[in-house]
Formats: sequence, C-alpha cells, structure tokens
Amino acid sequence: MGKPSDLVQGTLDLLILKTIALEPMHGWAIARRIQQLSNEVLQVQQGSLYPALHRLEQQGWIKAKWMESETGRQAKFYSLTGAGRAQMEKESANWSRLSAAINLIVSEA
Amino acid sequence: MLFRRRDAASRLDDELRFHLERQVAENVAAGMSAEEARAAALRTFGNPALLRDRAQATWGWGWVGSLRGDLAYAVRSLRRAPGFAIAAIGTLSVGIGAAAAMFSVVDRALIRPTTFGEPDRLVQIREGGRASKNVWNDLWLDIDEWSRRSRSFEQMAVVGSMGGRNFIEGKSAAVQVEGITTSSNLLDVLRTAPILGHGFAPEPVSSSAGRNTGTVILGYAIWRTAFGGDDAVIGKFARINGNPYTVIGVMPRGFAFPKQSQAVPQVWLPLTLNDTDSRRDYSAPTYQVVARLKSGVTIASAQSEMSAIQKTIAPAYADPDFRNAQASVVRYSDTLIDADVSKALWALLAASGVLWLIAAVNAANLLLARGTARRREIAVRGALGASRPRIAQQLMIEGLVLSASATVLGVCLADAGIRLARNAAPPGLGLDLSTHVDVTVLAGLCVLTLLSVLVSTAWPAAIVVRAPIEPALKQGSLQAGTGRRQHILRGALVSIEIAMSLTLLVACGLLLRTIYTLRHVPLGYRTDHIVVANLNIPSFRFKGQNIVQSLYLPMLDRVQHLHGVQAAGLMSEVPLGNTFHILLSLRMNGGGVVAEMKTVTPDIQRVFGFKMLAGRFYNHQDKPNSAPVVVVNPAFARLFAPNKLDPSSLIGLSMWSVRKDASAHIVGVLDNERQKAISQPSQPEVEFCLCQVTQDTRNYGPATTAMDLAIRTDRPTSEIIPELRDILRNASPELGGAQISTMDQIVEDSYGSQRLATHLLEIFGGSALLLCLAGLYGLLAYVVAQRTRELGVRIALGASRGNLVWMVLRQAGAMLLIGVAAGAGLALASKRLVSGFLYGVSAHDGWTFAASAILLLASGMLAAYFPAYRAASVDPMEALRAE
Repeated sequence: MGKPSDLVQGTLDLLILKTIALEPMHGWAIARRIQQLSNEVLQVQQGSLYPALHRLEQQGWIKAKWMESETGRQAKFYSLTGAGRAQMEKESANWSRLSAAINLIVSEA
Repeated sequence: MLFRRRDAASRLDDELRFHLERQVAENVAAGMSAEEARAAALRTFGNPALLRDRAQATWGWGWVGSLRGDLAYAVRSLRRAPGFAIAAIGTLSVGIGAAAAMFSVVDRALIRPTTFGEPDRLVQIREGGRASKNVWNDLWLDIDEWSRRSRSFEQMAVVGSMGGRNFIEGKSAAVQVEGITTSSNLLDVLRTAPILGHGFAPEPVSSSAGRNTGTVILGYAIWRTAFGGDDAVIGKFARINGNPYTVIGVMPRGFAFPKQSQAVPQVWLPLTLNDTDSRRDYSAPTYQVVARLKSGVTIASAQSEMSAIQKTIAPAYADPDFRNAQASVVRYSDTLIDADVSKALWALLAASGVLWLIAAVNAANLLLARGTARRREIAVRGALGASRPRIAQQLMIEGLVLSASATVLGVCLADAGIRLARNAAPPGLGLDLSTHVDVTVLAGLCVLTLLSVLVSTAWPAAIVVRAPIEPALKQGSLQAGTGRRQHILRGALVSIEIAMSLTLLVACGLLLRTIYTLRHVPLGYRTDHIVVANLNIPSFRFKGQNIVQSLYLPMLDRVQHLHGVQAAGLMSEVPLGNTFHILLSLRMNGGGVVAEMKTVTPDIQRVFGFKMLAGRFYNHQDKPNSAPVVVVNPAFARLFAPNKLDPSSLIGLSMWSVRKDASAHIVGVLDNERQKAISQPSQPEVEFCLCQVTQDTRNYGPATTAMDLAIRTDRPTSEIIPELRDILRNASPELGGAQISTMDQIVEDSYGSQRLATHLLEIFGGSALLLCLAGLYGLLAYVVAQRTRELGVRIALGASRGNLVWMVLRQAGAMLLIGVAAGAGLALASKRLVSGFLYGVSAHDGWTFAASAILLLASGMLAAYFPAYRAASVDPMEALRAE
C-alpha cells in the first residue's frame, strides 16, 4: 500500500462530524473509524485531528464529555450538537455537489 | 477560553496520552514488542509538543499566554546579555529620539500649526502687487467691497494695529504691549473665546463710537504679568498709553493673533475707522483680513470669486501699483511659518529619518550577530518542537522589547533635545518649541517603534528561523563559521550605514561651509565691540513735546559720557536687527519705490564704521533749522541715480519735501550694508538725521517710534550693560527693560534657519558617524572573535602579524570604500534637499565631499584597527587549546 492520500482540504471537519453523528466517540476511535470505513485509504494524522476537534468544539458544533472508555480508562468523548448536525447536513450537501462536479470533469477526460 | 488554561492544558495532555496508549496497545496486539510498539506509535504521532500547541491555538486567546511567556523570556535573555542590550537599545534610542524630536517640532510648526477650530476653512486675504508678501496690505475700502460682495465666506474679520509702541499700565510699571485693533467678529472667525469675561459685542466696523469703544481684551501673558492673574480684572480699568480702557475679557494661554513675531504681549481693542480709511493711496492705513470659508467652499473657488471682485475694484485707483494689485486667498496655516524655515524643517525631518534608518540598520546588524550566536539555542528549541512561526514570534517579541525600551529612552532624549533647542533656537524664526507630547506624537512614536521592529528584527528573525536545524546541532562549537551569504549581508549592512552617514556628513559639511561663507561676507560695517540696546520707546509719555529733544538727545549725551564708551549713536534699527521695519513709499523721477526708512544720529558712523561711496555722512552741523539732508544706499542709487554707474550723480538731488518750507537733498551714498539677512541683497534705504527731526517734519511719527542705541566700547559687556541700563531707566522707566545684546550676537542670530539646520545636522551627522563606526567595529570584532581558531592556525603556519592586521583592515577598507562610493551617489541625488540653504557653495562641492569622505574613511580605519590589532595578537597556542 502506498502512502495514504492526504485529506482533501476542508473535508476533515465533515468526516469527523459524520463519524460521530451515530454515537459519541473519543479521538483515537474517530481516527480508526475513518481509516476503516475508507478501507485504509484515509489516514487522519493526529497532528490534524486534535486541532480540528478542538476547533469544532470552540465553534460549538460538537461537545465533549469525559467518560469511561472500553478499556476502563477515562477518555474524552465527542458528540454532535444541534448546530453541528445542521452544519453536517450543509457540508454533506456541499460535498455531494462538489464531488459530482469533479467527477464529471475527471471521468470526461 | 482565557481562564483556567492550566486545567484545560492538563486535560488535553490526558487526551493525547490516551490516544498514544491506544496506539501502543494496538501495535502490541499486532505482534510488536512493547518497546517497538511505543517507538512506532510515537513515530506516527509526530511531534507531541507541537500537536499540543496547535490544539491549544484553536482555543483562542492562546496568544495571551504565549505573549506573556515570550515577554518574560525576552526580558530574561536580554538581561543575560547586557552588553548587547545596551548597544541595541542605545543605538535605537538615538535614532528614535532624533526622529521623535523632529517630528514633534514639524507636527507643531507645519502639520498642525494652529489650534483654531477647523483650520482648513481659515484663510487670509491679501492684496498683493506692492510690497509683495506683506500681510498688512489691505485697504479698508477694498475690504468693505469684499465683505459686501463675496459669497464664499461665512465671516470676514479685519485686523489692524495701534501702530508705534504701546504701553499698558497694570499694577506695576508700564509694560510694552502689541496693540491690535480688530473688528468685533475676530474671535468668532477664529472659533475661540476668552477664558474670562466675553469678546466684543457684535457690531459692524464704523467710524463712530459704538458699544465696544473704550474696551480691551487682554492676552494671557499680560494678564499674568501686569495684572497678577487676577480673576476680578473684568470690568476694571487698564491704562493704555495713558488712556483708560475697560477690561472685558482675557484670552486663553497660547492665543495669539496675528502671529507673534516677538515676545511682546498682545491686547485687542475695537477697530474704529477714521477719515484716512476712505483713501485709495499710500497714505491709507492697511489691515490684514482673516476670513472663514463657508463649509464646502474651496480656496480655489474663493480665489476666483475674489479675483473677479478685485477686477472691478482696481480701476478706482489712480496709482498703477494699486491698479495691478491682486487679491489672493491663502490658507491661514500657510502664513504662519516662512517658506525657508518650513523647507529647513522638512529637510531636517528627512535627515533625522536617515539617522533613524542608520540606527535601525545598526540594530539589525547587532540582532543578526546575536542570532548567529544563538543558532544552537534556536536549533535546540526547534528540535524540542517549537514551530518556526513560534520561534520567529519569540524573536520579534524580543525586538519589540528592545524597541519599546529604546522608544522610552528616545522620548526622554527628544524631550531634553527640544528643551535645549528652545533656548538655542534663533529668535525670529517663528518656531514654537513649546511642544508637548500629545496623541499625534504618541501615535507617531508607536509607528516608529513598530517600524524599528520590522526593519531591525523581522528579517534577522526570518533568516535565523529559516536556517536548517541539523547542521547547527551537528557543528556544535561556538566558533563554527557562519554562512558566507550572511557574512556578505552583514558587510552590506555596514556599507549601507556608511553610505547614509556620508550623506548626512556631506549635508552638514555643506552647511558649515555656508555658515563660514556667510561669516565672511563683507557686511559693510564692523560688528566687534558693539553693544546694542533695542529700546521700547514710551512715546505716550512725550505727547505734545519733541521726543528727540526731550528724550533721545539728552539720553545719548549721557551714554556718550559713560566711562569706556568710544562712540554712541541711535538708529531706528541696527542692521540685521529685524526688530522694527519702517517702509517709506515714495515717488521719484517718475518711479515708485518702497524703501526702508531709518533715522540715525551722526555718531552712528563711528560706531559701525559705515563707509561712504560718495558724498558725506551727517555731521553736527546738521541742525533742525539747517537744510534737511538724507543719505541713501547703493540699492537706492541703482534705481534712481541719473547715471546708473555713478552713484555720486545722485548727490544734490532733491528727494522729498520733508518740511513745508524745505525739501530734503541727498548728500551721501553709503557703501553697501546688509539689512535683513546676510544672504539677501540689500533693499533701497533712505536715512534721515535724527537731529533734524522735529514735530513739524512730515516723518516725525515713523522717525521716532523705534530706536536702537548702539555703542562702541572696549569694556567687557558684562560691566557696561548694568551702567547702560541705569542711564536708560533714568531717562524713562520703561527703557530699563530694553533688550541689550552685542552686534556679534545679532549677526549670529541672523543666520536663522541656516544656523538651526547646521546645529541639528552637526548632531545628526555626528551621531550617524558614531553609529556607523560602532557598526563597523562591532562587525569586525565579531569576525575576529569567530575566526580566532583560524587566525591561530595561520600564525602557527607562519603568517606574520602584519599580514593579519592587513587582512582585517582590507576587509574594513572594502566596506568603507563601497559605502563611501554609494554615499557620494546618495548625497548627489539628495542635493535638492539642501541646495536651498546653501550660500556661496554649490550642492556638489568637491572639497566638502572629499573632506567628509576622508573623515569617514580615516575614522573607519581607526575603528577597524582595534579588532585588527586583536587579530594580530592572537596566541596560536591559546587559540588552538581553547577548542
């Protein structure tokens, strides 16, 4: 397997929001989930993940809570807020439009 | 998230640690050993410290914490390197101080010269064409037409003068004041009001007595001195020239209108017209007009309206000079300072800017050197996870701390400088140096500080930060050489400093030569051993009597008998005195002329040693009843002599019917004499003999209002001045306060803007020279210290000490020559800035350039010699062992 592709700029937020939409998750689990769901294509670097999480929290789109994790240790679990859900819908719509447009051009050529 | 950061930070650490643990656990599960698993996890994790910083940065307010840390760190690291801190702060403060001082003065004098409200709408209307730039030029009939017909102005105020010398009697002896007559709306036009009482009651200017007749508004200065700052002064009487006036108001401190030319306090009285105001010729009184434009009206449109109005007024004049007179509308602020003083100030501001730039470049060089010395420290911090912007920020904060301290110190320097200048500035320049630090100046200082940081810190920081980390860590030793590029860069910086310093030195040299030339212009009279008293003549005490016989001649007689006085004479105004101009407009041989009029006593020739081109000077046979005679100067002769080449052809011509029964004849032509300034050619001048002036002569008033007493003496001035003052006080109490000076001092003061510019440029040029020498020395000393090992090896291999000295000096020589060549070009390019102030020397004077260059080269080589000597005295054993 080659070097994992870098995430398209600005899509990390959407991936995070989508990932925690189902259930609250901590940072490591979010990274793992993105990696698994994308068949190991997308690897989220910690260097981008945590700043992004903290930024989203500051913007009020996600909220965090310290809870006991599956290993029994305390971990910070992130979950979606109402505003975050709205933001997610907006960004998904945006992404569908954008990827469809890019697809058109790429498959054309 | 400004508060509870520490709590939040430890929770973030927890969160990241948890992530790491899960990664390790996963790696172990995948079959790695515990240690391998941890190493692999850390590898994917990247730089944990940096990650933490980035996450914290998203919290907002992060910069407060890092700023506080950086500030503390900067202060600590500067305290650890006091030599560097003192050099950098000292250098910058000299530059900032000079620029701040000049900026304060320029701000006060040129940018916001007046404190009147809405100064952009305040204009002066001048009738030109005759004595050209004179502001006292407007005749009442014209002013009346203007104010009735123009639509551009909200209000128009007329200001006149009581004329002559005026005295006010307050609680103590009479004090000389400038009596200003004004229309009642002056304070409204200026948008100002008295601090006590009220202004004049509004009423039109007329020739009959009105509501304001017999009232006076006092200036702040006279209120404090003559009336003891008494709040109850309103409604009381003040005697002016012996007549009682009711005080109705006191103006605020600093208020002056028209602009004060001398330190004589001002009072304002209502303007009343008389029958001479209805004349349209030279005998009519003249006024100045200040008006407020209606909002939205530009000066240009007001000007075109006034030109149109003036065109219809002018034909009413019989005299061709008046008929051609233009009415020009000038922004009031622009009338406050002479064009050449304002040019001098801008040029000096530019010079102080250059000095600041030199200081900033010098500081940049110091910071660059320090950055090189700290390469390891910075590399270590980079290796420990500091991001590059973060390191750059820290270096910038250090620069900010340096600049801010330098600014504080610079403001103190500027303040001290302005205080000194206040005492040293030549009088008569009209420069107000009562400058205070205010909001504009503070804003200017902040900009200056930030600019200093940008110039002196930003790019050294960028260079240091961009340097790769590994080589710095690998090389290790402090003596590791720096990059060749950086070395060239620092050499270039020193060359730039040298170039800019040369520019300042050349400007300074040119002005020194100008002053030297001015000092050697033949003045047409002697200036040594002459004491001059500028008398405040209390004419009001001598109403109805001939002041010449009752005051002047008896007083002069007593002065002549003073011990040690070789000769004593009176003269309306001594040459270059610039205290009181009397202009005489007359027509002769069909041409009109405005000539300076002076009244003298015969002995003044012995005091000043005036030489005659033709004819004779006055003697004691010229009596009130003998034939009236006048003496003129060559400038007058050039205009009127029947034979232009021979001034003596004027002798015997009748000039002016000075008495009803007799015309004055020209008996002599003086040799040239400089009147207003040494650099200005003399104007036509007519001199009358004081002994012939009586109340019957037509020039009695102007001939007696102003008088300077000049004596030639061998005694030291400090001895003779008190005795002189006693005689004056006995003659009339007001004369005791006469300004007494020496003729040498008056000549010195007349250099005006040139002297101011020269003194300041001496300071700027000297500081620039010192700064660039310090820069040169600093660079070479640093280079020698860095190359100690190399030098030791060279000596061990047999290089002679002379070789080493030569090696360092060669390096210095290269920088100096490049700098001097560039500086000469720069000086040539900037010659337009100085050429206006030069007299008798061209702006590209080869000698001045050569002398400045040699001075710079010689002192530069001297500064280089010490590091060179140190290089040569390196002990090879020591140098090699030190490693």
